[in-house]
Amino acid sequence: MATAASPLAEADFATRYAQHLLAQLQAGPLHSAAAPPGLQRHPAIAWAQSGLMPLCGEPEGAPQLCPLPLPSCADAALAALAQLSGAAALRGFSGAQLLSERAALMQLTRGGAISAGGACHLLDTREGGIALSLPREEDWELLPAWLQDGQAVDVGDWSALQARLVLQARDELLERAQLLGLACAADVDAASQAVPWLRVLHGAPLHGVNAPRRPPRVLELASLWAGPLCGHLLQLAGAEVVKLESWQRPDGARRGNRDFYDLLNAGKRSVALDFASREGRAQLRALIAHADIVIEGSRPRALRQLGIVAEELLAEQPRLSWIAISAYGRSAEQELRIGYGDDVGVGAGLSAIQAQACGQRMFIGDAIADPLAGLHAALAAWASHASGGGRLIEVSLCGVLRHIVESARLPEAAAWRERYVRWMAAAGTPATPVPRRAPALAAALGADTQSLLRDWAVPC
Amino acid sequence: MAAVLKAGSRFKSAVCDTQVMLVKAPAGEHVLSCGGVEMIAPTATGGGTPAPEFAGGTMIGKRYVNADESLEVLCTKGGAGSLALNGEALQVKQAKQLPSSD
Repeated sequence: MATAASPLAEADFATRYAQHLLAQLQAGPLHSAAAPPGLQRHPAIAWAQSGLMPLCGEPEGAPQLCPLPLPSCADAALAALAQLSGAAALRGFSGAQLLSERAALMQLTRGGAISAGGACHLLDTREGGIALSLPREEDWELLPAWLQDGQAVDVGDWSALQARLVLQARDELLERAQLLGLACAADVDAASQAVPWLRVLHGAPLHGVNAPRRPPRVLELASLWAGPLCGHLLQLAGAEVVKLESWQRPDGARRGNRDFYDLLNAGKRSVALDFASREGRAQLRALIAHADIVIEGSRPRALRQLGIVAEELLAEQPRLSWIAISAYGRSAEQELRIGYGDDVGVGAGLSAIQAQACGQRMFIGDAIADPLAGLHAALAAWASHASGGGRLIEVSLCGVLRHIVESARLPEAAAWRERYVRWMAAAGTPATPVPRRAPALAAALGADTQSLLRDWAVPC
Repeated sequence: MAAVLKAGSRFKSAVCDTQVMLVKAPAGEHVLSCGGVEMIAPTATGGGTPAPEFAGGTMIGKRYVNADESLEVLCTKGGAGSLALNGEALQVKQAKQLPSSD
């Protein structure tokens, strides 16, 4: 039987993807002999062992995989980070396993056109599908303005919302969602040229990687999953990580599943500042000036309004690596657009590719863009620091997924179907998700503020 | 001129760069102004400068509310004027808490 893609090229996808990531970072070749054994597994086997298959498919149907090597890309990004940092702590688990560990801890399962976490739904407009996330009750208050008919929708009444959406034009809904701060994406696979997974927006291009002189100091100003996972991986790589939050708006994940919060945040020192006060903002600037790496997940304007401008801070601290994690990047058209892991996955084309492969649209995994972006961001952060710093690097959830899609793209729907059937057969019985466990509890909000300000010699 | 306000409607300032979208609107007829001058349709042409008592400015991305929060507007473009409903200045609404999970 003729196959659409070369099985050889497919079989070593993870190795090739790791080589490709390191080459883009100018970080030298992959040392295949030292790479984790899991890197050599076929993408279908990586799917089966990732714990991700039970998170894809209809609730009453069988677990599915998607004909994109998402677990292999996670394995590759982790292997590349392990090689650059030389850290043994990054070798006790697989990258693929990170994709399903939140669902394992929260006991989430597949919901078909409803995300595993439940906050995102695939819906129909007059012109086609969208994914919409409404993770907070207050988000439902925006729906009268979004639908422009002024009529409220009861919190949780997705079928009433769907009934009104089918009358509306998709492009206008997407435009108004962006203005209102609703996380909404079109359910389409827009094929394009190769998409970069990171962009150096300011500073020198990446060049050669040396071992850091001392463990980097990381300041994490990020919430939920992608940014905190990035900080967590840097910590395992050997960095000193400080989680910095405002008293006004701490990481919402503190109110979520405790085991998952501890897993990502144990061992980080917790600093809380009053961003509403001049003093708090001055302390924030001073801490950034003492950091080697900033991981940040805000919209640029939110930080600008606090007087924090990445480009200015880079001028003051020329070795700083500023890793800006966003949903769709920092371009003028996209910087206001918000997104979460599930809706961005749909916007990057995953659901539409799955529909070509098996005839049904669905969410792939659990907030899939988050852990993949966190893995890629950690790799970018370490590589930038190890090549001298002095850069503003954009890593977007959508960019990372689009990069993966384009790295593994097949030319037509029939080819996606063929690969899907072949991989499903090769996968066999899928493993259930196995989470790692936090070694300790995460620090309470602000527990280390005074000691950290003292240790980093910041006036308090 | 007082008018019925509707969620989803968009306006721009007649006297500065401010643009807003109505998130929530009270029943009845009201005057929504910016810089002391009634706001106009996004396609209309304004002119003039903000009145000194309504020149505090607006910031993109911020939500503004009246005293009883029956009106909420989202600033989609910042400007030099400040917002008012029926002559009463609107206040910045506290940012929403982050979700606990996505």
